[in-house]
Amino acid sequence: MIPDTRWVWTALLGGFATLDATPVGQTLLSQPLVTATALGWMWGDLETALAVGVVLQILAASTLPIGARTPEDYAAGGVAGVAIAIALARAHPFPMAREGAQLLGVLAGMVVASLGVPLVKWQRRRNEGLARWTEAAVRAGDEKALGAATYAGVVLAFGIGVTFTAASVAIGVIGLDGLAGRESLRLAHAWGLAEPLWIGLGIAQMLFAFIQRRLTRAAVFGGSLTVAWIWLVLRTR
Amino acid sequence: MPALSRGDQWRVAWRTMFLQATWNYERQQGLGWAWAFQPVLERLYPDAAQRRERLAEHTAYFNTQPTLASLALGAAAGLEEQRAAGTGPDADGMARVKGVLGAALAALGDRLFWFTLRPFAAALGVLMAVGGSPWGALVLWLCYDSLHLTLRFAGVGMGYRAGPAVLSGALRDRLEGLVRRVAVLGCGVLGILVATLLMPPGGVRMLAWQASLLAGLLFGAIAALRSRPSPTQWGLGLGALCLVAAWRH
Repeated sequence: MIPDTRWVWTALLGGFATLDATPVGQTLLSQPLVTATALGWMWGDLETALAVGVVLQILAASTLPIGARTPEDYAAGGVAGVAIAIALARAHPFPMAREGAQLLGVLAGMVVASLGVPLVKWQRRRNEGLARWTEAAVRAGDEKALGAATYAGVVLAFGIGVTFTAASVAIGVIGLDGLAGRESLRLAHAWGLAEPLWIGLGIAQMLFAFIQRRLTRAAVFGGSLTVAWIWLVLRTR
Repeated sequence: MPALSRGDQWRVAWRTMFLQATWNYERQQGLGWAWAFQPVLERLYPDAAQRRERLAEHTAYFNTQPTLASLALGAAAGLEEQRAAGTGPDADGMARVKGVLGAALAALGDRLFWFTLRPFAAALGVLMAVGGSPWGALVLWLCYDSLHLTLRFAGVGMGYRAGPAVLSGALRDRLEGLVRRVAVLGCGVLGILVATLLMPPGGVRMLAWQASLLAGLLFGAIAALRSRPSPTQWGLGLGALCLVAAWRH
């Protein structure tokens, strides 16, 4: 049996997303909507990928990397959650099982994002040793030590991202496959309840960040909602 | 004393992409700052011993919002140029300038990029995805990076020309104005997003779904007033509740 190389690309995507999240660039390529779209194209299941990616994106948008705070790792969480959902939906190709797979994918994504926090903290503590070594090397006359330390930091972050994503996807798919097959009806019902709750939760967080206790901004939100609602109603008729 | 060329500024700007590659709890961005600053020191200090001494100084603690770090690096490069000519600040003065610039840039940068532009880009991308378009991810990326990458690469030159006063004039006003405008636009986009969620292309949502969205908004409003539990912990809790409800149904 030839293993599907797309699994390798999925793990590599987790590594690149982990790099983009903090160590290199911070260009938002690591955001769940971006990685979900890439996985959707790669696996040929954009519908499942976007359903999970949208929910994880809304939750990730309210998770802020300010100062020395270690936020949840939605780079690996986004890749793992979407990949698990796609794999479960492929294994059980029925509409109800797809919704169950989406629920399990979002839950798995949030769990992976939370488990990524201690991993990021461990990596940052490893970097303390790297920084001390570099300072000593620079004082001893080795100016290239700075570049070597930077590349070492990048390689370490990439390796952790690939390994963590691969392990999360493997454990998630193997561990949840039976549940997704047996309990698709209940899981689909839970998805119907949880999806709007999660989306509402995330939107309220973003809105809070925008409004900042200014009434005019709240009025803009209310006004745009009303106008868009009326327009959509008229268009439907 | 040789002035910094555009090529030197470009090398510094490129290296800011790796500013946080060695982020740690002791020096935070200190090591990344030193590596990004290295091309400046190589240009200004031909004497290896003096250059190494300056390089070791620059590995000290530094932290700011990573995009706007380019402005601080440019301003510090200008000061280092004066210092190499014998007219600039000493090591303590340099450290003070870095500290003040880092704090000021973080205060503005956190609000601009983390609190405003990132959620705005996400809302725009999600709005497109919910509307059935596969291009939401591209819109998210372009919306954020058109400003992020511009400031990251042009910021070094801006800081170099303006010096430590880079954030005290027109640039601060422009960025503050941008924060306000993007926040107002973000409120508008979220309003359209909620309307689209209630009436997606192809039909109206069921009443139970609409009620759940409203409940989610209420939970989110309560959660936003407290730093803990985090939104993810709220999400996991709500997910567990929905599973229990589905099993008991």
